[in-house]
Amino acid sequence: MSGYGGFALRRAGQAVVVVLLTYVFTFWVISVLPGDPVTTTLRNPQNGFTEEEIARIVSYYGLDRPVLVQLWESLSRFVTGDLGVSLRSNRSVADMIGEVLPSTLVLAAASLTIAVVLSFAIAFGVHYLPRPFSTALRSVPSLFLSVPGFLVGLLLIQVFSFGLGLFRAIDTDGPVATFFAALTLGIWVSAQIAEVLIANLDHEAAQEYAGVARSRGLGRLRMLLKHLLKPSSLPVVTVLALMIGEVLGGAVITEAVFGRTGIGNLVERSVASQDLPVLQAVVTLAAVVFVVVNLLADLVYPLLDPRVTLQARPEVGANA
Amino acid sequence: MTLTAVTATEAPVPARVRRTWRVPPTVVLSFLVVALVVGWSVAPGVFSGQDPVNGVPADLFAPPSAAHWFGTDHLGRDEFARVVHGTASSVSSALVAVLIGLVVGGLIGLLSGFLGGLVDTVLARFVDVLLAIPSFLLAVVVVSALGFQTINAAIATGVSAVAVFARVLRSEVLKARSAVFVEASLVLGGSRAHVLLRHVLPNASRSVLQLAVLQFGLSILVIASLAFLGYGDPPPASDWGLLISAGREYPLAPWLIYAPALVTIVTVLSVNRISRWLRKTD
Amino acid sequence: MAPQDRLTSTLTRPASTTTAPLLQVSGLSVAYGGRQVVSGVDLALGAGGSLALIGESGSGKSTIARALLRLLPASGRATGHVELAGREVLGLPERRFRPLRGRTLGFVPQDPASALNPVRTIGVQALEAAELVDGLAKEDRREAVLETFAQVGLTDPQRVFAAHPHELSGGMLQRVLIGLAVLPRPSLLVADEPTSALDVTIQKRILDLLSTLRADLGISLLLITHDLAIAAERAESLIVLKDGRIQEAGTTAEVFANPTSAYARQLHADVPALNPDRYADLRAVGEGRAGDPARIEVQGVTKTFGSLTAVDDVSFAVPAGTTHALVGESGSGKTTAIRLLLGLEQPDSGRIVVAGEELHGRSHASLRSVRRHLQLVYQNPFTSLDPTWKVERLVREPLDRYRIGDPASRRELVRETLRSVGLGEELVSRKPSALSGGQRQRVAIARALVLRPDVIVLDEPTSALDVSVQADIVETLLRLQADLGLTYVFVSHDLSLVRQLAHTVSVMRTGRVVEHGTVASIFDSPQEEYTRTLLASLPVGAA
Repeated sequence: MSGYGGFALRRAGQAVVVVLLTYVFTFWVISVLPGDPVTTTLRNPQNGFTEEEIARIVSYYGLDRPVLVQLWESLSRFVTGDLGVSLRSNRSVADMIGEVLPSTLVLAAASLTIAVVLSFAIAFGVHYLPRPFSTALRSVPSLFLSVPGFLVGLLLIQVFSFGLGLFRAIDTDGPVATFFAALTLGIWVSAQIAEVLIANLDHEAAQEYAGVARSRGLGRLRMLLKHLLKPSSLPVVTVLALMIGEVLGGAVITEAVFGRTGIGNLVERSVASQDLPVLQAVVTLAAVVFVVVNLLADLVYPLLDPRVTLQARPEVGANA
Repeated sequence: MTLTAVTATEAPVPARVRRTWRVPPTVVLSFLVVALVVGWSVAPGVFSGQDPVNGVPADLFAPPSAAHWFGTDHLGRDEFARVVHGTASSVSSALVAVLIGLVVGGLIGLLSGFLGGLVDTVLARFVDVLLAIPSFLLAVVVVSALGFQTINAAIATGVSAVAVFARVLRSEVLKARSAVFVEASLVLGGSRAHVLLRHVLPNASRSVLQLAVLQFGLSILVIASLAFLGYGDPPPASDWGLLISAGREYPLAPWLIYAPALVTIVTVLSVNRISRWLRKTD
Repeated sequence: MAPQDRLTSTLTRPASTTTAPLLQVSGLSVAYGGRQVVSGVDLALGAGGSLALIGESGSGKSTIARALLRLLPASGRATGHVELAGREVLGLPERRFRPLRGRTLGFVPQDPASALNPVRTIGVQALEAAELVDGLAKEDRREAVLETFAQVGLTDPQRVFAAHPHELSGGMLQRVLIGLAVLPRPSLLVADEPTSALDVTIQKRILDLLSTLRADLGISLLLITHDLAIAAERAESLIVLKDGRIQEAGTTAEVFANPTSAYARQLHADVPALNPDRYADLRAVGEGRAGDPARIEVQGVTKTFGSLTAVDDVSFAVPAGTTHALVGESGSGKTTAIRLLLGLEQPDSGRIVVAGEELHGRSHASLRSVRRHLQLVYQNPFTSLDPTWKVERLVREPLDRYRIGDPASRRELVRETLRSVGLGEELVSRKPSALSGGQRQRVAIARALVLRPDVIVLDEPTSALDVSVQADIVETLLRLQADLGLTYVFVSHDLSLVRQLAHTVSVMRTGRVVEHGTVASIFDSPQEEYTRTLLASLPVGAA
């Protein structure tokens, strides 16, 4: 087990490095911003900062000092868990994120669940249903991947809100509205999982062992469930972990279409008002979530797949 | 038995080669769609004689008809003309995005895979960073840093695609590098540069081409999404995403959403079909 | 000739032990899309009898097996009649055929390493077979599986039951698969090249096991093989196939001793084991050089990878113009030995001298100049040629790399070399994918030859090829040696092939040279137990 311990430690170390580098990278991208949006935002009378507050914030961020020093101080604060203060509302960024995070987590969890159910249903149909249905289902993921996510949302609203009145577009955080928002995101994610799953099932079904198992008299359903499903869905653990990124990124669009509050909406508002500390914090947080989830997937995978030795795992997100 | 007789006894192979080049009808159709879209972007005037900027006030919200295939909008502008004239911007920005991803990501992947060692480790961490930031979020941050223009949206989309290209090219290079024919070339006196340029790259190019085509379709969607959020050129530009976004203001004229949406979907679907076909005929 | 007439007369004659045939196939044809791969095959197999289908790749032998088992891929369509125990089964709906699977019709596949689900334990998969035994209570199934494992010679049935496939060796896996196939006591066992993925000593044990089980349990055996010697040794009747058609059929004694069809005769002549002296004339040229000074000297070379000693104190010398063979099973270190010889790996100790020049401890540039005289032909021509290059460029590559001559003379040299290995002008602009396996290997040989090296290392150059193609390649190699005085180092697992073409032999096992000497001394009076085991494992065709 010492081999696994070493492997886990190494991967965790990599994850920490990646998170810190992500912070630096985001800082660099944001500091490329032309002009001096920080000062202009602060001095905008609408934001209601007093002169003392402005002075305090400027010295807090070290805005009067060289970029590298700013980076160093900002990074030191980040390491201790301090995400800074919003330039727009004079509130702690951590509070602002904490306020909207639950809504996005519900959306993310619901859409991943929908995606898993949908993708397995599609892949199962492709491999179990008779001819015309299975061929038709086969092209579904490709179709899903060709439709812009916001359009799916618009269509769902058009049909189920305006048309059937199942939910009111104003009541954005109700369960029905949440379901349709999650469906919007889930359809996109399900297509990517289904593509992998179908390809894996095709691959496994063509393996010698599948023929040999059939020669032992196994029926189609039992073949699918007992033999093909496990080796086909193991790599999906990896794909699912990668999809976390899709869900967090897609939340920006989905929340905009459905008028929901949440992390995506916070990003959109921060972009509009050039609220850099919030952007920096959200991006880093998303990276932390992504890295942690993929780290877990990496650590769990060798325990699930008996074939895998720790060096030779199929291509993994954070291991490019 | 003589040597010439030998070659005759062996099974001829060309049958398989010929089969590879039989193009399925859906792929032909996809190529036609792409050709049409390219035509729209190169010479929009040829395909639509109407003015995409100045409308006819008498013709507000006309539903699709023979005169206006996609109907007209709130200023009486022909929607078809707007879609056709918006094509160049949507297509060329997707191309820019793919080029950025391909060149930057490709170079990273190539060096990473071929040099290995410390270079590989350093580049791998950099790619990890790009991968760790959700790609759409990355695109949003980059475009907000550069300013709200379609070209910046294209650059942002390209940056968010760098990681994918780097990963694929690296694994292709590793695969080719361990191939027997590469070792054979070294035994035959080939230098490392020769092996990289003449053996590894040509063999990796097929899957990179397939990925580039796939990313082209994806980029159209991402750029449309950025335009939808208002991060592209403002009206009267008529990028596809912007048209769809504008269309939602007028629920009573649904063609203003459906027409540009349909064009986007059919284009991306065709591009994806071509990519899939490239992968299969490998 | 009218093979069909002869066939009917053979097939109506009852097989040795029974009256009504268990399996009766008539007019079986199989097509993939529009491509016909099996045409009008008839065969019969009595209960307890054994029949071998022999053919090279593309002969349709495996397709016939898959058609009988109804395991053809979706694009394959089988027509004709297949009667199993008096019942037509080809047109049967899958639902009604399924009860016959396993119970009446067992299957032993070709490559045991890929024939079991890699992510499930062997036990779980074995229980599926035990389920097919009628009247076996659920709680007794495990016991039945363990018993069967013991019966097929697995020494630790409990451990095998709990293991995943990748934890067992190929030989053990094939025993498991045979066990799974015989567990429900089928009346017919279809074995598709059951030993071609295994080492020669294990091959013999697996074939012995199949013969024993057949005798003990009264199971009929349909054996699919490319190896005429194995077929003759293990089956009562033979059918020789080519391009999906039967060339010849009859009892083993008839077909083996007196092949009447041209193809069967050629096949017989091409099997090395049956014709040890086929190339005696060509080989004699090198025989006279046996005492000459060595062109290659390997002295006490050792190479370790971590804790594994891949090559352990290996020495041999090869006189110019002769062939030295390195023989061994997988893991014997023969591949590492030649990688050291080519300078692709550095030895831990020992020295290698090629044409008077020390190979290791050199700069890259001077190693390159030695390599000019030392070329390699790889085992698998499907991976050793860059698929994106054309033949002309592939063969010209070494000339370009070493900057030999001007472009015009290079082109001429390429064509000349291609001619010398039996490839015509029309192939120069083809890519490897448009060539057959034999043609590809000829291109690889031409590429090694074009620099006019003194030494060519041949790493199992024919093991990926059919036996008739192998015979032609071997002949080409020997002729080139006789004409150009080439020195060969020939690596192989195939002792009979070595006997045909080599002058001296080193037998390797787990990194060490067990025994070495001239071909005659090794084959006629082996001193070591291991060499004797290897020789005894060779199928000799005598039933």
